[in-house]
Amino acid sequence: MASPMRIRAAAKEGVTEVRVLMSHVMETGQRKDSSGALIPAHFITELTAKHNDKVVLSAEFGPSVSTNPYLAFKFNGGAKGDKVAVTWVDNKGETRTDEVQVS
Amino acid sequence: MSRFSKTLIALLVAGATGLAAGTAGASEGYPGIGRAATEAEVKAWDIDVRPDFVGLPKGRGNVDDGMELWETHCASCHGVFGESNEVFTPIVGGTTAQDIETGRVAALVTGDSPQRTTLMKVPTVSTLFDYIQRAMPWTAPKSLTADEVYAILAYLLNLGEIVPADFELSDENIREVQERMPNRNGMTTDHGMWPGAAAAKGGLGNGGKPDVKNAACMKDCKKEVEIVSALPDYAQDAHGNLAEQNRPVGQTRGKPTGAPAEEAAPEAKAGGAAALALANEKGCMACHGVANRIVGPGYNEIAEKYRGQTDAASGLIDKVKTGGQGVWGAVPMPPQGHVTDDEIKQLVQWILEGAQAQ
Repeated sequence: MASPMRIRAAAKEGVTEVRVLMSHVMETGQRKDSSGALIPAHFITELTAKHNDKVVLSAEFGPSVSTNPYLAFKFNGGAKGDKVAVTWVDNKGETRTDEVQVS
Repeated sequence: MSRFSKTLIALLVAGATGLAAGTAGASEGYPGIGRAATEAEVKAWDIDVRPDFVGLPKGRGNVDDGMELWETHCASCHGVFGESNEVFTPIVGGTTAQDIETGRVAALVTGDSPQRTTLMKVPTVSTLFDYIQRAMPWTAPKSLTADEVYAILAYLLNLGEIVPADFELSDENIREVQERMPNRNGMTTDHGMWPGAAAAKGGLGNGGKPDVKNAACMKDCKKEVEIVSALPDYAQDAHGNLAEQNRPVGQTRGKPTGAPAEEAAPEAKAGGAAALALANEKGCMACHGVANRIVGPGYNEIAEKYRGQTDAASGLIDKVKTGGQGVWGAVPMPPQGHVTDDEIKQLVQWILEGAQAQ
């Protein structure tokens, strides 16, 4: 099980800024280990962010994204106490969802 | 012991003496100069927090408050999660639950982490407290209260997954946190940079023993050391002729280096141009200029040096033929076996007559 994401969502003047730090190895599949064997690819492929139950961001990730990706975005609307949930799915089918309240 | 630690100790001793004199109420050593620091002044300066938590102020702060403070004071430079690499190196990252168990950050050894973060390196939580309290925020150091420092530190430790999200850090439980620092066993004192006595005698380090093992060589010592601004001979040509690699204007011309040069063998007066051509052909001009020094002396310099010496020619012919060193500096003139005696004679005469090309 992957470690939890760190999410901060702050509403200000009708705009909510969300910042997410994901914990993921984001292995490209091109690196070799010390014995020369390829390290299998393992990276996030899809990411979805929901405000309450409405999708506000949908993104496709790939192997060029760094280890432990950091993502920041804003959406219109959102108020204190609303829920923001972020979900990722990786190429091994693993998934993780974390949720915070807007502050 | 290194000079550095001697100096440090000297300063410490001086400081301690100063304080002692200060609390006694007068600067006895230097009458009429300054005054002793008052106890309150000393207290105001004395804010350090040591690894054994001497100097730690009382207080408490929790992760949630720390997060608010972090976003107000710290996040603009360090990133919301302490992850930012833009202004400073990241504070958080690179540590694992395993590291917290072992007390030694594995990524420091394996190189798995792309960059060393603060939490990967720092062995003592007191150092973090001290630094935040002393130096942060960058624009307003020492503006945080003790409780705020506790809160910010709690937030950082939570980001590093060293403490849980509902943790409240205080002067009472900070020792327990020290036992969970990921790199707490990563610090060694067994080297000469630590001042004072060896650890066995109650000091910190190894008593100043250097960590290099070379024995002093006391044979064939130079009697005199001459300090010069010059390259050793073997390094002269390491990068080619420096003079050729600098533009010929401006102050920096580059020292003429390069392979040892042949002394230019000039021709007889009969044909200056012929002599010059011969010098070119035999490679003399690679190192000697007609009117300038390249590696070896210029022909004009040679002519000047031997002006009026009737026996100069034979000596120089020998020099060109068998090589020489020392007259014009350390760069040797190699023997010129490929030039015939007659040609050498021609060149030397040409040089001594002023190396005229016409």
